[in-house]
Amino acid sequence: MKRREFLKKATLTTAGAFVAPYILPSGRLFAPTGSQIAPHVVLVMYAGGIRNQETVDQMYLTQSQYSWNPDPSINVPGNIMPNMLAGAAPASKVVYGTGPGGNNPIAPILSTPLQSQGVLFKEVNAVAAGHYGGSIALLQGNTNLSQPLLDRPKTPTIFEFLRKHGGYKATDTWFLGNSLGNSVPLYNHSDDENYGAKYGANMFIPGVTFGSQGDKFLKDAKVYHPQNELSPMYKMKYFLDNSYESLTQNNVLDVVGNTEAEKAQIKAFMKNMFLKKQAGQVLLPPSAGAGADAKAVGYACEVMKEFTPALTVIKIDGPDACHADFTAYLRAIHQSDHAVGFLWDYIQTQIPAMAGNTIMIATPDCGRNLNPNPILDTENNFRAYDHSDANTRRVFTLMAGATIGNNPDKATAPLSSSSPLNTDAAITVGHILGIEGDMLASGYLHGNSQSLIRKL
Amino acid sequence: MKINQIAIVAAALLFSVISCKKETIDDKVFQVDNVNLYSSASSKLKEKTESQWIAVVYTNIFQQALSASDIYRAGQCITSIGDKELAREVIISNFMNSTAPAPAIPSNADMRNDIDKFVKEAYERFLIRRPTEGEKQYFRNEITNDPLRSAEIVYFSFALSNEYLFY
Repeated sequence: MKRREFLKKATLTTAGAFVAPYILPSGRLFAPTGSQIAPHVVLVMYAGGIRNQETVDQMYLTQSQYSWNPDPSINVPGNIMPNMLAGAAPASKVVYGTGPGGNNPIAPILSTPLQSQGVLFKEVNAVAAGHYGGSIALLQGNTNLSQPLLDRPKTPTIFEFLRKHGGYKATDTWFLGNSLGNSVPLYNHSDDENYGAKYGANMFIPGVTFGSQGDKFLKDAKVYHPQNELSPMYKMKYFLDNSYESLTQNNVLDVVGNTEAEKAQIKAFMKNMFLKKQAGQVLLPPSAGAGADAKAVGYACEVMKEFTPALTVIKIDGPDACHADFTAYLRAIHQSDHAVGFLWDYIQTQIPAMAGNTIMIATPDCGRNLNPNPILDTENNFRAYDHSDANTRRVFTLMAGATIGNNPDKATAPLSSSSPLNTDAAITVGHILGIEGDMLASGYLHGNSQSLIRKL
Repeated sequence: MKINQIAIVAAALLFSVISCKKETIDDKVFQVDNVNLYSSASSKLKEKTESQWIAVVYTNIFQQALSASDIYRAGQCITSIGDKELAREVIISNFMNSTAPAPAIPSNADMRNDIDKFVKEAYERFLIRRPTEGEKQYFRNEITNDPLRSAEIVYFSFALSNEYLFY
């Protein structure tokens, strides 16, 4: 070979090695195009329909009850979310706390409310007036909400975007739900044929997984020897699967795709959780008792401590009691605020790998009506609210942590076209975790999607 | 004895012989339809629901039925976990650890005494079909070449197989 020819081939080979695509475990060819803003995000699907009036507007009873019943004793504004929002608590008629009559507010866990640590988007336009559509919008980043209940999302969720485009492994993405009801256990992936289960998130519904059902059918799982027993078992299973492969292609099976090592870690985690539960050592937000929301938050803390996921999504919805019991709604908002404070405090004090480098986003699935329905609660004769009118589209988004820093509130007019959409939660998560470009290029997002980080 | 009396006695005897008898359960023959084995794995195209899978796997492992309420609760466990395969694996492990009832699994000695019979019965029990020659050979080698390979582990692999998810 002549010297010139050798140099030419060597140069081309070297260049090719740099240019050739790298195949990641996720199957994607290139590493994500964006860079991470932070390595961890916690998205709290905060509560089942809450009005801005009782949350960020801090109007307590003034715009919910006094408007309909001109009794001066209930003309009381105030902040009932001391861990999330800055502002003085109601001066009187305290019914949102614990104990008889709810007279004792729960002491805040955070010395500085999240609003003062991060940024509050006071007016965000929800794209749906219901819990299912609202929750799906947060995860999908679009308004493709025509799918019925008890069906999976139709377009990719943020979990699938992250795993397909970001190369994140299955245990990097987690969904912690509070119920088997409606479609909650279907939120961990869509049935989009190009994404779907194999890019889905791991998930627990802790009230069931670690509840009485889990006690009976999961707790006593035999621990097999990894080399002598499990490895041969998987080997024989894979052999049996081979003969059936042609019928299980095309994403037919609902398999999230944990590796054997990830499965082993999850199984060990579950075993440990049952032991901790038996010993009373699973920390739940004390204010929320042993309710489904408390379990979702408490076990989310355990999941984050074990797996330090890139994305953890937590669904809580206690305030949905508002359909028939406004007093219970106020208490649930207050308890949910405490649960979020507990979550943030746990991350900062109990999970060194996530402390200081995690961004939390809290946003409701939808708001509630401007006008009450006819139902009065038995405790205080307070009017209840459903969710179907324009006021239902008024929600907020609170974001804090890592590089966010404290920013002035972003306050647009209610339902203004310049307000962010709650579908922006998905692209914001993608932006933080380095796949913003891939998500925007996918064609699946709402046309006006923009990362909230870019609005700071 | 008069002829009339003889006739009456004879009639009474005859009546007692041919009269109605109380029907007992022993008189009934409950016919169970024969179950045809699948000719091959490719005949199975319908995926079992979580409840169907639970009901069948419990029956296959314990040789007895699970109550409807427990089928429902075990199905909830699968629904509550994102990785369904992992959920099924943990449930099978839980069943294998049960003492009352204990899993109805052949002993390791029985398995090794007649491996071909064991493999054939495992295919019929779990996959409702007979193994191909290649499949028999594979399991024969696996069991023969690994002294630690237990019948329980072999059954576990069948219960966790993808083919077992379909009927």
